[in-house]
Amino acid sequence: MNVNLTIDGVPVSVPKGTWLVEAAKTVQQEIPVYCYHTKLGPAGLCRVCLVDIEGMPKLQIACNTPAAEGMVVRTRGARVEAGRAMILELLLVNHPLDCPICDKGGECDLQDYAMAYARGNSDVVDPKTRKPKAVDLGPTIVLDEERCVVCQRCVRFDDIIADERQLVVKDRGAHDIIATATGSPYRHNFTGNVTELCPVGALTSKTYRFKSRPWDLNRTQTTCTQCAVGCQQFADVRYGTLLRTMSVENDDAISDGWLCDRGRYNIGFYASPDRLTQPLYRKGGSFVQIGWDDAFALWGKAITDAIAAKGTPSVGAIGGGRLTNEEAYVLQYLFRKIGVANLDWRSGRQRQATPGANGGALTDIELAQAIVIAGESIEERAPVLWLRVRKAALRGGATVVHAATPAEAVAALPAGATRVALVWDGIDLARGRAFADAFAGVAELSTYVASEQGNARGAEAMGMLPWSGPGYAAARARGRDAAGMFEDARNGSLAVLSMFGVNPVRNAADGAAVAQALVKVPFVVVSELFLTETADRATLVLPAKGAFEKTGTTLNLAGDLLPVNAAVQAPDGVLSDLEMLLGLAAQLDVDLPRAEELDATVIEHMAHAPEDFGFGDSRFASDVASVPEDVPPATILSGGGTWRHDPTLATLQVETPSSQPVGATA
Amino acid sequence: MPVTKVLTAGIGEADLRNIDVYRERGGYRQWERAVRELKPGDVLDLAEKSGLRGRGGAGFPTGKKWSFLPAEKPLRYLVCNCDEAEPGTFKDHMLIAEAPHLVLEGILLGSYGIECHHAFIYIRGEFKRGYEIFSAALDEARKAGFVGDDLFGSGFNLEVTVQRGAGAYICGEETGLLNSLEGKRGEPRLKPPFPAIEGLYGMPTVVNNVETLAYLVPILEKGAEWFASVGTERSKGYKIVSVSGHVQRPGNYEVALGTTVREIIDIAGGLRPGRNLMAVQPGGGSSACIFEEQLDLPYDYENMAKAGSMLGSGAFVVFDDSTDFVKAAHNLVRFFAHESCGQCTPCREGGHWLERVLERLVHGRGVSGDYEMLLRVSGGITGLNLCALGDSIEPFLKSVLLRFPEQFRARVLKAKETVPV
Ligand SMILES: Cc1cc2nc3c(=O)[nH]c(=O)nc-3n(C[C@H](O)[C@H](O)[C@H](O)COP(=O)(O)O)c2cc1C
Ligand code: SF4
Ligand code: SF4
Ligand code: SF4
Ligand code: FES
Repeated sequence: MNVNLTIDGVPVSVPKGTWLVEAAKTVQQEIPVYCYHTKLGPAGLCRVCLVDIEGMPKLQIACNTPAAEGMVVRTRGARVEAGRAMILELLLVNHPLDCPICDKGGECDLQDYAMAYARGNSDVVDPKTRKPKAVDLGPTIVLDEERCVVCQRCVRFDDIIADERQLVVKDRGAHDIIATATGSPYRHNFTGNVTELCPVGALTSKTYRFKSRPWDLNRTQTTCTQCAVGCQQFADVRYGTLLRTMSVENDDAISDGWLCDRGRYNIGFYASPDRLTQPLYRKGGSFVQIGWDDAFALWGKAITDAIAAKGTPSVGAIGGGRLTNEEAYVLQYLFRKIGVANLDWRSGRQRQATPGANGGALTDIELAQAIVIAGESIEERAPVLWLRVRKAALRGGATVVHAATPAEAVAALPAGATRVALVWDGIDLARGRAFADAFAGVAELSTYVASEQGNARGAEAMGMLPWSGPGYAAARARGRDAAGMFEDARNGSLAVLSMFGVNPVRNAADGAAVAQALVKVPFVVVSELFLTETADRATLVLPAKGAFEKTGTTLNLAGDLLPVNAAVQAPDGVLSDLEMLLGLAAQLDVDLPRAEELDATVIEHMAHAPEDFGFGDSRFASDVASVPEDVPPATILSGGGTWRHDPTLATLQVETPSSQPVGATA
Repeated sequence: MPVTKVLTAGIGEADLRNIDVYRERGGYRQWERAVRELKPGDVLDLAEKSGLRGRGGAGFPTGKKWSFLPAEKPLRYLVCNCDEAEPGTFKDHMLIAEAPHLVLEGILLGSYGIECHHAFIYIRGEFKRGYEIFSAALDEARKAGFVGDDLFGSGFNLEVTVQRGAGAYICGEETGLLNSLEGKRGEPRLKPPFPAIEGLYGMPTVVNNVETLAYLVPILEKGAEWFASVGTERSKGYKIVSVSGHVQRPGNYEVALGTTVREIIDIAGGLRPGRNLMAVQPGGGSSACIFEEQLDLPYDYENMAKAGSMLGSGAFVVFDDSTDFVKAAHNLVRFFAHESCGQCTPCREGGHWLERVLERLVHGRGVSGDYEMLLRVSGGITGLNLCALGDSIEPFLKSVLLRFPEQFRARVLKAKETVPV
């Protein structure tokens, strides 16, 4: 039901109960806020959002006053201005005003509102209170207590969004400070968000402190590719260096306005001195640097010779999960053009990335009465998805079920649950099938696969599967999957293996076996940013661009087609996988589709809703029957191994399995 | 009008902490009668008709407060507020320490009136002795079958829990109290929702003062008409006034509402010989002073409000001509700044700033502009705060600033003297 009111004389119609601060946005009236935040709701602490409502003796706070029929609201006028000026004057009484050395300067709500609403002079003659400055809050954040305006956004984020409750207000009155409840370091998967919520320069990221001014930053909106959620983010670049990423507040459909710490902070590796910048060719026992022309010539010749000598089954390509859709498409296009069918993106333990029928939108999770996690915890695999699950649990009252067996999961469902979200890690097909079967009768089932790689689903949609081409259409010839290719390698029947952004030596179920198999392949090509465990075993290593350095699209775990935009220039000598494939195509005399055709093709294949399969479809089964049980799997951290080349993240990322064991019930 | 002992009857004469003594004097008879013979609605009716208003500070009509509880939510709580930290108030401590069974009987009646089965009493941390006495009384009452399950065979269950605070004034504010009771940081909640809708543990809750609840006992005994026949138009019944300051016999005096301010001073023994009255703060640290020319006003809710002050919790502080009002103002403002929970900007920053300026003035280090700043800032923060604590800073300060400007101005350094601090 809508109510009609006027705000500064402009008629407004909003749903009953809408806070005035939101109603005012519909008529472009700014009401200043510190403690209010759309995602956190009202707290009524800062008192800066004052408005004048006809018939009310006192000024009211717009953040906690619901719009009502016939209300006459004024966001300006002498009374409002006096009230706001008083609040700002008070906030500045003890504020250190060290703007010249404050990272927030230039994008600070205290600066902005002080300029807009404060008196401009001060009656304060006493010295300001002193509080701790540059408090090391934890691995990611530094806190300046003097700059804090005690809006408690950080405290409330920790409570109602992250469900961590680490940050609290300590002490009382003018002496209150923000601290962790226990005094231990502030540390969880989402800490960086509080630096954005903080309206002032009290909470700052260690990675960004003293690095820049906002007006020196060039901002590009792009998609985080570090996991399969695909959070929208801004990449802020100063003079060619990527300095920070920021969330996109209105990205309700994907990230809900948040970023995880990996997505936010694992960006230092772009400028790492360890990065590969020139093709490397193995001569004798060691690598020598070669030029791109030679690299393409060697690569093309190796493939042509292998096909001539042993036929197309002796050639294979693995990759796609870390490529853009366009690159994945061109990858399979090029190799299928020359008759190669050994194509797969699945270099790790995961078998399936596309949920098939019942695939849901991320926002559907909030409607679910129960969210069943089948397989590894999604906290590491898809952090921001986990936040949405928490939101559904904390605010929608959904039950979160971590269950070892479908029967257990079904038993844990709330009575009469008709809306269930099922999240699977895509690893064990039989388990995925069993869970899907168990919930097949649920009226509104939405299913998700939390993939190990950001564009895993895109790779499948683009045809990087041995049995399907773009749009899941059956491939003309069925090839070997990655595990099959490694088996062929061990048997000595694989001659050329090209790998793009994958590190099976570390991530495959049996990495050691992969390492041994690669030794038997005469020509191994690896496109990578760093000399990974796999690249180190290659014949030819090609230095690749990362996601912030190229343009294309990606497909997240819910099937949203998302833009990847170049924000920084790659180091000289580094090419994107697409550019590499162009170089190879020239050697192999294959004409690749032109850019416009490519865009249209990608979109067309994305539109193919894969309805004819579900979790654990037999086509995703491995060519190789069993994987040794006793090999401990490597942890799949979103972001892959790049964090090892980001010195600032040394304390943040711990390379031990932090995934919850299957079977724990929340 | 003289003192009339209603709640205070027997205090200092009989050992009312002893349940037998209390019962001999008619104690727990109203409780038994209520459970056996009355419906909860009857108790609510009595509370409403008696005109009883809250004695904790805000003076809200008690029956009306109870009637806000949503009928469709049967799980609800009664919380008795014994945080009593308002400067100058010392009546609730006396009641729980001297007449604990009366307070308990009031809590029981109130719980019955709102049909709740679990009541809490939140006792200020410093009241250790009162806490011990009240807890002992509760144990006795439980043994005697007045608290617990199936009371008097009626099937009505009622449990009472005693909780000690940690000595924060803000935990007397009802929602701060509820947070503290839940084990959270003692800071007021944003309202709405009000406690009657979402209170303790999210359930509908009534918070009433000790004295308010205690008056239910005589109201049940003597009837609503008896209570309503005393007092003035909208201030019915009696009130315990905690008189302190420059009087000869400070203490708690129970009087009919409407007794004049002058009479109350006289009841407390009047001023010391040779002294002149300068001001009376009639309703606790949060109230503005009234002066000489207002002494004949009836002491009740309406007249105190009309005089620009309030009756509040009935803390009545008398100031004679030996008073240094700069010190007095500093003392009170320091109290509020110290007790501010710090949640909201005006109270946190404003209180602290005013305190520091007053501190300078106390030490004779004022600067020109201080006087104006005190008026401007104390007035500026009023009405902008999240809870009533922040709005309590101005009244006393403003009333003495306007009445005794020379006392403040005299503390300002002359131009040739040195810079402050
Ligand atoms: C800062 C502050 C402190 C308060 N302290 C007390 C107190 O100690 N005892 C009390 O009964 N009411 C106190 N109150 C009033 C309570 O909020 C509430 O109005 C009262 O307990 C209601 O009871 P009543 O209706 O019986 O008066 C305080 C209010 C404020 C704003
Ligand atoms: S640190 Fe920042 S976000 Fe947290 S309370 Fe202070 S000003 Fe608000
Ligand atoms: S890693 Fe995943 S969850 Fe984290 S910011 Fe990137 S896309 Fe979002
Ligand atoms: S007015 Fe003072 S005590 Fe009340 S909420 Fe605000 S800061 Fe806390
Ligand atoms: S935004 Fe309304 S009180 Fe802070």
